[in-house]
Amino acid sequence: MQGVLGAFREIDATCDAIAELRKKNFSEITVFTPTPRHEFEHALEPPHSKVRMFTLIGGLAGLTFGYWIPIWISDYWPIVVGGKPVASWVPYTIIGFELMVLIGSLSTVFGMFALARIPRLTMTVGYDPRFSHGDYGIWVVAPPDRAAEAADLLRQYGAVEVRNER
Amino acid sequence: MATLVQPRPGDDVPRPNLPSASNRLPAIADYEQVDRDIIATLGPTLGWFAALGVAIVCLLIGASAWTYQIYEGLGAAGYHPPVMWGVYIVTFVFWVGIGHAGTLISAILYLFRAGFRTTIYRVSEAMTVFAVMTAGLFPILHLGRPWKFFYLIPYPNWRLIWPNPKSPLVWDVFAILTYLTVSATFFYVGLIPDIAVLRDQETNPVRKRIYAMLSLGWRNSEHEWRHFTRAYLFLAAFATPLVLSVHSVVSFDFAMALTPGWHATVFPPYFVAGAIFSGIGMVFTICIPLRKVFKLEHIITLNDLDAAAKLCLFTSMVVGLAYLSEFQVAWMSGNQFEQEYFWNRVFGQWAWAAWIMLICNCVLPLSLFSQKLRRNTTWLFLISITINIGMWFERFVIVVPSLSHEFEPWQWGGYAPTWVDYSILLGSFGWFFMWFLLFIKQLPVMAIAEVKEIVPPRMRRPADHSHDLDVGYPDSAIVLEDRL
Repeated sequence: MQGVLGAFREIDATCDAIAELRKKNFSEITVFTPTPRHEFEHALEPPHSKVRMFTLIGGLAGLTFGYWIPIWISDYWPIVVGGKPVASWVPYTIIGFELMVLIGSLSTVFGMFALARIPRLTMTVGYDPRFSHGDYGIWVVAPPDRAAEAADLLRQYGAVEVRNER
Repeated sequence: MATLVQPRPGDDVPRPNLPSASNRLPAIADYEQVDRDIIATLGPTLGWFAALGVAIVCLLIGASAWTYQIYEGLGAAGYHPPVMWGVYIVTFVFWVGIGHAGTLISAILYLFRAGFRTTIYRVSEAMTVFAVMTAGLFPILHLGRPWKFFYLIPYPNWRLIWPNPKSPLVWDVFAILTYLTVSATFFYVGLIPDIAVLRDQETNPVRKRIYAMLSLGWRNSEHEWRHFTRAYLFLAAFATPLVLSVHSVVSFDFAMALTPGWHATVFPPYFVAGAIFSGIGMVFTICIPLRKVFKLEHIITLNDLDAAAKLCLFTSMVVGLAYLSEFQVAWMSGNQFEQEYFWNRVFGQWAWAAWIMLICNCVLPLSLFSQKLRRNTTWLFLISITINIGMWFERFVIVVPSLSHEFEPWQWGGYAPTWVDYSILLGSFGWFFMWFLLFIKQLPVMAIAEVKEIVPPRMRRPADHSHDLDVGYPDSAIVLEDRL
């Protein structure tokens, strides 16, 4: 993958550059920021995160499993007390709830990892340690014939450093 | 004279220390300073080694006492009929309670968008994880044959026996293990971007490699942040009812029994409020020395402590109300065993413990109505110590007097903890603080990325603050007065 990386000091300059890049039909833009900022969501207009699906499915699976375990245990090893149900759902709600939270939480984290593509073994192209420190970065995928145009645009909007990477 | 923000040593640039709606941390100039100031806390010092040494010695004392107890049997710990629950269960509930403030601060206050949590939540989360790890030891310590603890976990086994899922002790296993797992996960997920900061700043290749592995290749891209913030929100949404459920389940250990003083429906909310109260007490006990030693007064501001103190005051009053309602219910129940028990609690053989509890938990925290005292860190620290003591005694008052004063006089008895109990209690503090001290020198004590969120970003054009609402700092007048 070939592209241009620009490092910015100011957030508004970064957002302006993103808007201009999108206007010029550079579609593969990655923004790096030391902290999540709504300004970038407005500038990039990304789709909603699908983490919620993992949360929902994990939570429902956990709830089902949490009821199934004690019901199965009661059935397998019944403690028979005259006139009372061997498996009673009211106290089992506690176990159902706890496992809903447990499996729902773990699947949320799994979903986040899967969607954010982590763990990642290498930093790949387009990353600079300063992006976790205080600067913002824009990595834009550009074919060789458009790399100069992208670099000029980034410089024009205040990038303190621009470099080509592949 | 109190000031909102202490000047940082070596900071020659004069900056106003007055927070505003657009700048909550006026002594922080930029993101780079956040990194510098927080990462500066990681260098080990002589004092840190000394504190770690003390914690390890305390832990070894506890471990030795446990070894002795395993050899001699549980009788060495002062358990004699009718009191078969004592210091271990008291301390178990105490540590579970301490573990509640972390998730309250990191999850519930996150959902409520309470800004003051930002600077103290990492410490609170670490406290939660280590407190639950400590609490989890006590049911095992309380077993005559601790190596059989896994009998409580339901898994297919050759014995073909299963735990009884209608027992509160089994609910405890599910609740505590879930709480430990979710708290640790929440803690680690929040740490990932901060470990990436350490990775990028580290020069030692070994440490850099370790941080690189722990940060999972985090790159700070907007794409990662988008999924991260969503996942964090849902984790907070799960953790919120979990906080309420875990101490409710712990309270069921008592409330499900017919013992006088225990069999009450008020127990779940009463325990949850008490847990939050004691947890906030421990947050003060840890945060106040931490901000002083690490010179972080300009990040953990008096405004943050003031807001947390208000929460502490509120939960203290909820706990006080629960104490009163217990007496009222006993009085109006017409049940003579219940009435006898509560009379015995405050005027009988355990009166000294009950009065320590009432004074520490209900009377002294009322001083936090004074704004001046809420902003006095020495006072807050002293109050936090009394809260820790008071909340330990609250659990003592719940456990021991009930068991030693059941229905019939032949069931009445006494209880005296032995040196084994005290040593294991001391060892639990050693265990907790050992982990905590190791944590504060390996990982950032504050959420670097979240602190950056409340620092205004650098702008090319001057920021427009005309729409800011000045609602965050109702006591700015006092700050101004202090400045003057």
